[in-house]
Amino acid sequence: MRVIEAKNISFAYRVLNKNHSSLKTLFRDFLKGRVSIEDYVAISDLTFEINKGETVAIIGKNGAGKSTLLKILARVIKPTNGEIKITGQVAPMIELGAGFNSELTGRENILFYSSLLDRDINKVKPRINEIINWAGVADHLDYQLRTYSTGMVARLAFSVATDVIPDILLIDEVLSVGDGEFAVKSRKRLNEIIDSGCTVVMVSHDLATVAELANKVIWIEKGQIKMVGTPTEVIAAYQSSGS
Amino acid sequence: MRTNKISLYAITGFSKNNIQLLRLLIQQELTLRYKRSVIGIGWTLLNPMLTSFVLWIVFSFLFVGKLETGQQFAPYLMAGILLNTFFNQGLLQSANSIAANGGVLTKVSVPPRIFAFAAALAAFTNFLIGLIPLAAVVYISGQKLAITFPIVLIIGLFMAFLTAGIGLILSVIFIRFEDAKNIVNVLLLILIYLTPIFYPIGILSSRMQEIVSLNPLTSFLDAFRWSFSNNATATWRDFLYLALVSITTFAIGNLFFKRRWSKTIAML
Repeated sequence: MRVIEAKNISFAYRVLNKNHSSLKTLFRDFLKGRVSIEDYVAISDLTFEINKGETVAIIGKNGAGKSTLLKILARVIKPTNGEIKITGQVAPMIELGAGFNSELTGRENILFYSSLLDRDINKVKPRINEIINWAGVADHLDYQLRTYSTGMVARLAFSVATDVIPDILLIDEVLSVGDGEFAVKSRKRLNEIIDSGCTVVMVSHDLATVAELANKVIWIEKGQIKMVGTPTEVIAAYQSSGS
Repeated sequence: MRTNKISLYAITGFSKNNIQLLRLLIQQELTLRYKRSVIGIGWTLLNPMLTSFVLWIVFSFLFVGKLETGQQFAPYLMAGILLNTFFNQGLLQSANSIAANGGVLTKVSVPPRIFAFAAALAAFTNFLIGLIPLAAVVYISGQKLAITFPIVLIIGLFMAFLTAGIGLILSVIFIRFEDAKNIVNVLLLILIYLTPIFYPIGILSSRMQEIVSLNPLTSFLDAFRWSFSNNATATWRDFLYLALVSITTFAIGNLFFKRRWSKTIAML
């Protein structure tokens, strides 16, 4: 069953040819006829599909359009052209803890972050203990988040984000955070999620992780699909291309 | 229940969980501002009182006796300040809310307008809290609450819609042009003088009075003062005017925001 179907999707950032941060400079340049609008094409004409239960990795150089694609999959932005059909609940882990507020306590942040992820907080409340135990921050539940270490924040965010297994999980390099022990623990959690039949789409520069977790790889270059296939063949081609 | 949920989503684009989020955001807006202060949310009570007190000392000599008989300057002034604070706060905070939460909006799929609505509703809540000291001032100056005072809730709700509507439009403009903030601040200052906040409308020339009564905020203020403690006269025209302006602005704001959003988010 297809859960993600992208047909010729493109995304262009509309930018003025120069950066006019103030009305004054814009007006001055406008009078001089130096204002024009240009489209910066981040991705163009992508067509692909992802089936239920697949673990798909998107690889490519910096600026290839991977993050833009992930944002489209997260429904944060809409493609400027083309059509995308996404079936099911999407949990984006594009940045761990986006939406955490350092002035709020751990407990308040758990509820707020869950709510941002479109979860019913009445169902989250009974799960708080489980969430903090997994993250190892049980003693700090009612302290403000600014008293937490970076590692604790990352663990808490990962714990909340993966507490409910979504239909589609989007991951952007999140496994590169935290200390060694946490990396192992989160990898284990991720494997459980993959095994549970959840569709996972991840963006990663870590080819070893890609080879280990993914069963399909999409290689993007300059906003276009260069190659789609099994991890072994795509990674081999990607490496031999000198990237 | 199920059909209920679906229809709510269809009309507003918000899910049931988004309503919980809205509540959390309003709570945050109200508590976080005073997180590090000693008396906390008590400032919401004190602020309008202190401002009114200062202005009362300054202006009571000038305008005493200029109000119509039976009206008192202290509650008249305080009502004006309360409503004007509501308008400014709701408008500016909902306008800033989208940019302030850009980090979230570019990473999590959540209806962005929720942040603007939360800001407007937080300003509404502050306004409601401010009614308590206003009531005290009404009694101190020897008046009574008018029987019509529950109507204030409806006026406040319309004000929340108005500020959310303008806030949505401004939020898009602010993200595009940083300078627009300064222009808006000047406009708000002009608006303060075009609204009978601290002066009785009777002191103006009849030509000026016409201009000032075109200002929808004047209708809001007259309706508010009349409903609360009969410190102004308001007619059904004022109510009709404020309701129309508020609903239209809200609709335009939402429409404008929906149209511009996909372009705007690329700049966050």
